[in-house]
Amino acid sequence: MTDDDTFDLHLRLLDRQVVDPDGGMICKVDDVELEPADDGGFVVTALLSGPLALGPRLPGRLGRWTVALARRWAEEPHPAPRRIPFERVTELGSAVVVDRSRDDLRIARLEDWVRIHVIERIPGSRHESE
Amino acid sequence: MRASDLLGAEVRTADGGRLGVVTGLRCTTDGPSAGSVPAPRVRALVVTGRHVGSALGYQQEEQRGPWLVRAVIRGLHRQTRLVDVGLIDRIEDGTVRLADTPA
Repeated sequence: MTDDDTFDLHLRLLDRQVVDPDGGMICKVDDVELEPADDGGFVVTALLSGPLALGPRLPGRLGRWTVALARRWAEEPHPAPRRIPFERVTELGSAVVVDRSRDDLRIARLEDWVRIHVIERIPGSRHESE
Repeated sequence: MRASDLLGAEVRTADGGRLGVVTGLRCTTDGPSAGSVPAPRVRALVVTGRHVGSALGYQQEEQRGPWLVRAVIRGLHRQTRLVDVGLIDRIEDGTVRLADTPA
């Protein structure tokens, strides 16, 4: 294994922006899911995002509070990080491109609900000045 | 398991000796995936004695940048070694325990 054919997952994947095919921002890669592979190593099976993924990476109380608040505000009884299966990824570069839009992925239902029912009803929210 | 379970974890050999902490995960792009991009496969843990400055990436040979910063960070991480993930025995409570001592 040489430096030419390897990369560091920490530096090249974590904290990257996830975008849809049109460049629309979806989320950040806060962590990744790993599974042992039959033929060796651990394979990335999904991108994880949101406070429940980021919290455990943050130091000390900041991380614990982030996770605790995310759990308290979650709608589900057993909240989990937002998950994008790795098979949705079409490009790994300065951003991570996936083959679905944010709405199709349905990974941030609360934020989508707020956008549709609150933000988009505010006068001027649809770029009316343009 | 998540990447964060490995990053920052202390690495100990089978006899309990401390090797350092995991500051990076070296990958190849040959993992199985049902999509168009092969999944990254973690092959080795980047283990250093110190965690300071590891997120800057200067311990990698191909990384360029201000020579002074590069020299300081590489000096701090001169004990960096790659540990094959096949040597991992178990991961528990923020510690990676190896089944064997790496060469």
